[in-house]
Amino acid sequence: MGQRVPHVTGYLTEHFADDAFGTLAGYRARGGYETARRVVTGMSPAEVIETVKASGLQGRGGAGFSTGLKWSFMPAETDRPKYLVCNADESEPGSFKDRILLERGPHQLIEGILIAAFATGAEKTFAYVRGEYAFPADCLERAVAEAREAGLLGERIFGTDFRHDIVVVRGAGAYICGEETGLLESLEGKKGQPRKKPPFPAQFGAFGMPTTVNNVETFCHVPHILARGPDWFRSIGTEKSPGHTLFGVSGHVVRPGLYELPLGTRLDEIIFEHAGGVPDGKKVKGVIPGGMSMPILPAGQLDVPMANEYLRERKTMLGTGGIIVMNEDTCMVRVACVVTYFFRDESCGQCTQCREGTGWMNRIVERIERGGGESEDLAVLLDVAGKMEGATICAFADAAAWPVQGLLRHFREDFEAHVRERKCPFPASFEL
Amino acid sequence: MPRITVDGRDYEVPEGRTLLQALDDLGVLMNGVEIPHYCWHPKLSIDGSCRLCQVEIEGQPKLQIACNTPVQDGMVVYTRTERVRRAREGVMELLLVNHPLDCPICDQAGECKLQDYAFEYGVPRSRTREPRRALKKRVDLGPTIVFDQERCILCRRCVRFCREVPGTGELGVFGRGDRSVVDVFPGEELRNDYSMNVADICPVGALTTRDFRFRIRVWFLKEIPGVCTGCSRGCNIHLGTAYNRVYRYTPRRNDEVNETWICDEGRLSYKAIGAPDRIREPWLRSARGVLEPATESDALGRAADRIRTAAEAHGPGVVAALASPHATNEDLFVLRRLLAALGTEVHGMAVPRGRGDEILLREERAPNVAGGRALGFGEAEPVLDRIRGGGVSVLLVLGHDLLDPRYEGALDALRRCESVILLDTHHSELERAAEIVLPVRHAAEKLGTFTNFAGRVQRIEPAVEPPFLALSDGETLHRLGRTLGLAGFAGVYDVRAISRAIGSEFPAFAGRDVDAVGPLGLPLAGDPA
Amino acid sequence: MVISEAVRERIEAAKARFPQPRGALLAALHLVQEELGHIPPEAEREVADLFGLRPVEVHEVVSFYNMFHSESGGRHRVYVCTNLPCSLRGARTLLRHLESHLGIRCGQTTPDGRITLGHEECLGACAYAPMMRVDRTYHEDLDPERAVRILDELE
Repeated sequence: MGQRVPHVTGYLTEHFADDAFGTLAGYRARGGYETARRVVTGMSPAEVIETVKASGLQGRGGAGFSTGLKWSFMPAETDRPKYLVCNADESEPGSFKDRILLERGPHQLIEGILIAAFATGAEKTFAYVRGEYAFPADCLERAVAEAREAGLLGERIFGTDFRHDIVVVRGAGAYICGEETGLLESLEGKKGQPRKKPPFPAQFGAFGMPTTVNNVETFCHVPHILARGPDWFRSIGTEKSPGHTLFGVSGHVVRPGLYELPLGTRLDEIIFEHAGGVPDGKKVKGVIPGGMSMPILPAGQLDVPMANEYLRERKTMLGTGGIIVMNEDTCMVRVACVVTYFFRDESCGQCTQCREGTGWMNRIVERIERGGGESEDLAVLLDVAGKMEGATICAFADAAAWPVQGLLRHFREDFEAHVRERKCPFPASFEL
Repeated sequence: MPRITVDGRDYEVPEGRTLLQALDDLGVLMNGVEIPHYCWHPKLSIDGSCRLCQVEIEGQPKLQIACNTPVQDGMVVYTRTERVRRAREGVMELLLVNHPLDCPICDQAGECKLQDYAFEYGVPRSRTREPRRALKKRVDLGPTIVFDQERCILCRRCVRFCREVPGTGELGVFGRGDRSVVDVFPGEELRNDYSMNVADICPVGALTTRDFRFRIRVWFLKEIPGVCTGCSRGCNIHLGTAYNRVYRYTPRRNDEVNETWICDEGRLSYKAIGAPDRIREPWLRSARGVLEPATESDALGRAADRIRTAAEAHGPGVVAALASPHATNEDLFVLRRLLAALGTEVHGMAVPRGRGDEILLREERAPNVAGGRALGFGEAEPVLDRIRGGGVSVLLVLGHDLLDPRYEGALDALRRCESVILLDTHHSELERAAEIVLPVRHAAEKLGTFTNFAGRVQRIEPAVEPPFLALSDGETLHRLGRTLGLAGFAGVYDVRAISRAIGSEFPAFAGRDVDAVGPLGLPLAGDPA
Repeated sequence: MVISEAVRERIEAAKARFPQPRGALLAALHLVQEELGHIPPEAEREVADLFGLRPVEVHEVVSFYNMFHSESGGRHRVYVCTNLPCSLRGARTLLRHLESHLGIRCGQTTPDGRITLGHEECLGACAYAPMMRVDRTYHEDLDPERAVRILDELE
């Protein structure tokens, strides 16, 4: 509880074993806030944005969009207040990195926010923490209070005209609030139903004002990029996907946990060398590489570097870097049951395809698992998934469709065996 | 103005509109350009959730929803491609996953957009084997609306309507995902002056009006265009008729008048047409002082006799008239002519009043107040004062507007006349003061025009025939004039000719006759005020 | 009135943190639920009054989020995460075990009103599975015996 530290650390998490790092004094003892001071007192906002652009930093919340580019969408000349939103609504199954970043390094996050605020001219940041993360939210609240006390938030920061403040906001349990416009709605005290676009948040965001939403981890990379420069950052990871990221490894592995590694680290290396492979000498059957909404990879395709340019070739994506490992006993229809139940439960219910498609897919796979499947069900499943894809207000429906498509692509035989035998033929699989 | 191309045809569209809005502005949506839609409604905010209105736009990799895509100059749109067809089919199939297939016992059948679009754009067979969701059936949402939650496709039009039009916001969507339901707050009701519009905009049979449901299958209805007579707004309506009966009023879109709405009071005012208290024959007061049925010629003969006698004895000034703003421009014009032919200028018009609102409902509770004023009918009070002073012997009264509380004591005043000749649709207290009662037609039973509060001349036409002998006020007055032998009252009554003639005497009405105003009416010429 | 003065004051303070007061609605509902254990219609009405909203709008929000409860529950709410990473590591077996230990089914409350048992989607403890949330607190790396001990210690 709060003592969770990555098994492999790097520039983001190297001091996370040190409890003091979570305090202002401890963070400052490691040079904390010096980068922000240098940026605010010595750089122009445009230079900061250029630096981040040059670093090639991609958002770590799942979509992988260029952070510098996103910042540049904020109107430079405007009388309206501008806001940042820190997306700490981490809810992707398999993902728990932001929680650890909040618990163990909240000042690193605040420093990243300060730099981003300076670059974009935002006067306030709303840090939206998922409601279940009570302890991580408390950690952030404490750090914000400390920073405010020390004059690192508020008016005349570092003796300049720069002012900024952070408001920590708690969600209340809805996966969809991780979607940036769903989050904005929730932040405004409404149901977290994603907004149709246009307008986009950079013009009409939180409370109608220009807004940039970034993930917790994304902010945390920023002080390091500004401290060591874009070339240093680009020297890590792959050419197209620079930097470290936090891989969360869960499921059937010996050492589940968080691993800070360069993007492009091979999936099999993470699973077998870092996480110790599958317990009890069992084999891997399949791996979800980037949180549950990303399509699964079969055991034969684990030699892939963990970066989007490589994962895309295998029809999957890095997502949030949540790696879920399943051993040879695993029933992939049960996996489909869990996956489709989740998306059915979490669909906000606005768009027809998503609202109805998630429920329909879930009912079909549950029936197949119970032994009531028909051979044509598989075609219907794929067809429904296809109808959900790319047709809705937000990407949730895609996120619900992809894993089903992935499971049928690589483990169709599991489904067919259920239909053939009219029961689940995987008695040793995890219990439903 | 931006130019766009839709399916190879060029359109010049208004700036700052979305694709569906722009096509709707041009009047071509579902009328040349077929883009089916559920959640979008021209008079409500954009929701963007049903996803049925997806179209292909050149240069955009994904299909886009037409309801929320701003038009841009040079935009090239396709609505009939294979991708679009498949997308619509997908939405239709998914909408039917949870929709009960109980069309034979659904009151929306025949005017159900789910039925229509499933036929046009859907898949020919059902592939769902899963049970549909079990929800509330036939619950009263309030005094006017019955709700079948299972049939709801969550387009949220009703929710937006209550928030955006009456501003009462009784409805919400609770829960999320496929557990989402529309409902009222626990223990509260859908109750507002415009509540029944939700049944019109509900594309399926989820919301139906208690008044109309299961009265008749809609395919037996003939929808006749008309105008509501409930107030001076003159909301455009359809009169749903069958078997010579009016079964309902529904709003007919007229962006200049009522957009797509009507108030509940106006909607239910159709009940007056077939009401049991309609006056079905002429009545004459007998020597014993009671009203007894009479023939039309006896009634007209007695009326003519009273008028002639009084005018000869005391001059035409003792003959007076109180017009009704329920009468058409044509009816009132004939009255004007009759009074002029008699040589009297003593006339006014009684205007009933009620509570108005900021939406549609006007305080003046009759459809032709502005028409009456434009034709020279002033207030009723001076006439009533003159009656009270004993200066009126014979009074012609159209309608029972005098019973409005603001004319308190009018009935007593009327008793001071030697003779009151009443032309009316319904029995009322006013008959106590009347010597002669003539039945006349309701607005649903005649051709003519009303002039609404803003000076828009709008046409009504006969939707049903009264099941008894009755003429319009105008024709009745025409026959009275003929009985009196007045010049210009010979021959057969021709309402179309009368309608045209108004314009030659009152220039504001020029080109505003029944045949010229069209289905959406025309404002009076010149200064509409 | 079901919402206390003290909570009303905290709600007013929360409003001040947002450019528009409604931003504090979720915070207000959390506060109300902490005080009352759940959010009954009466409380929704009062919250609606405090925010100048219609009760129906507050109920929409309450019904949208997992963490808000319209129905009363036990003194403690216990949720086992049953999403994939946890299920792979025995979360459902754990849930069954807790059901039989408490003598209730998932979704029910113990007759003594002590515990409401439920399951929840991913709580962000995937590597520390199986786990359960007891009110605000996470308990991770559970085995059935330890989980039962934790529940037994709840008042």
